[in-house]
Amino acid sequence: MLDAIDKELLKAVADLEGIPKGAYNIRKNGELLGREVSANITIEANEAGNGIVVRIQPGTVNESVHIPVIVSQAGLHDVVYNRFIIGASSDVTIVAGCGIHCGSSQSQGHEGIHEFRVEKGARVRYVEKHVALGEGKGKRALNPTTQVFLAEDAYAEMELSQLGGVDEADRTNTAELSAGSSLLITERVMTDDVETAISRNEIVLAGEDSKANLISRSVIRGESRQDFYATIDARARCFGHIECDAILMGNGSNETVPSLKARHPEAELTHEASIGKIADEQLVKLMSLGLTYDEAVNRIIQGFLK
Amino acid sequence: MLAIKDVMFSVPDADASVANARKTIIDPLSYTFEPGKFYAITGPNGSGKTTLAKLIMGIYEVTSGSIYLEGKDITSMGITERARAGIAYSFQHPARFKGTTFRDLLSIAAGTEEEESLAKIVARVGICSLDFLDKPVDAKLSGGEIKKVELATTIARNPKVAIYDEPDTGIDLWTIDPMVQLLKKEQDTYGTTTIVVSHNRVFLAAADTLLLIKGGRIAYEGDLEGASVLLTDLSVCGYGDVCEGESDVRCYR
Repeated sequence: MLDAIDKELLKAVADLEGIPKGAYNIRKNGELLGREVSANITIEANEAGNGIVVRIQPGTVNESVHIPVIVSQAGLHDVVYNRFIIGASSDVTIVAGCGIHCGSSQSQGHEGIHEFRVEKGARVRYVEKHVALGEGKGKRALNPTTQVFLAEDAYAEMELSQLGGVDEADRTNTAELSAGSSLLITERVMTDDVETAISRNEIVLAGEDSKANLISRSVIRGESRQDFYATIDARARCFGHIECDAILMGNGSNETVPSLKARHPEAELTHEASIGKIADEQLVKLMSLGLTYDEAVNRIIQGFLK
Repeated sequence: MLAIKDVMFSVPDADASVANARKTIIDPLSYTFEPGKFYAITGPNGSGKTTLAKLIMGIYEVTSGSIYLEGKDITSMGITERARAGIAYSFQHPARFKGTTFRDLLSIAAGTEEEESLAKIVARVGICSLDFLDKPVDAKLSGGEIKKVELATTIARNPKVAIYDEPDTGIDLWTIDPMVQLLKKEQDTYGTTTIVVSHNRVFLAAADTLLLIKGGRIAYEGDLEGASVLLTDLSVCGYGDVCEGESDVRCYR
């Protein structure tokens, strides 16, 4: 059922050696390749037939759902609308990701719109990796949208990464937080050559004592460009923090625009942003431990994107 | 044996009225550090102590002169080669990294990721606990904590020559004595040639030889007692933070 390219992509995006255990839905070239549900997790096609609805029963703990997408067909632009309903007081991990294998000169792409409804007191960890492989010269594009709605006291942790080969990425993350809920987003993006990546983030802290922490780490190699826009809109007593760091290597460019909006007197918002080359003192330190210059650069980047 | 022969170091002088003027930081200086001995280098701010230490590690290139390690000319070697040849350096203001842990640095320094080996080094250093290993070496570490990380990574190199630039910066008072004991123990057990740049009397007293640097030259070589008259003159200065930078070294007193 899985060929060598599929396996390579699945390994890259979902750390899977083959078909995962537990609930999963694997989509290949716009069609369903395999699906498994569990007693507590159901996966169904949506009404429009252009995506899935994943329902996690209230109270489900220590379960995971894998929903990788692979695109290896030349010229295919796959668009999906997936919804995740994470029942109250559950605690689950969702592993998504898209791997493109481009073997031709035709462009290929994937646009995934993921909506998360995290119900009262539920906790979800969402891991999403984007990778493009293959010798083909066709443009590989990935334009994901993630919309998160956190109910009271819900918690979501989102690890979003794109570590190479994607020519064009335009990501939008939005979130709305109810009272007592928390959101941690960590985004790691590495671009090279003439790749471009844009990340747009809009977080609304609507409920009292809601918390959001948005961390972005960018490595910009070659002539590539990455832009990062983040807004935290605080409408209640809440806490929000944006931390965005970009390392420039080669002739890459970056625009980073963190924006904080306090619409409540007890909102507490902070941000730190940095753009620059690898600090000399870091390189000198690692070289004084016996690494060469290149080895030192690699170790610093590895750590930064870890 | 580490020998410095006629080493001179100058930098462009931004304050001079003449174009291309240069400012001498280290006047031609020669000195031989005997193997297995403990040296303390002290002197006024801006006198060239840290510069001398960085010239030995290869962080700065000498303007003229030569440096020899065990008879081999290492003047043209870069930092990496000197590190591999057996010189280790503990920075006064250690670098902080996002995402790199103490374990990562220690593994690089020791050349192994083996838990047992790392635990042995942590035990050998003795001033930080094992659960410290997975802490990121980032801005959240306190000044004292990062200096302990720095000390551990230096010792993990098993160096022939260990250079410590102001190892007590940010260290609490009750950790300084154990730190001196640790450096003495390293010297005794492994025959490490130890060079400590410091203003702290405890280090100066612990050294076999004290070198007082003034104006880029060795103004005194001997024990602490003999240096006391000269040192009294330099005893109090509150400008250390502003004058001992990387690029703009001068005395603001």
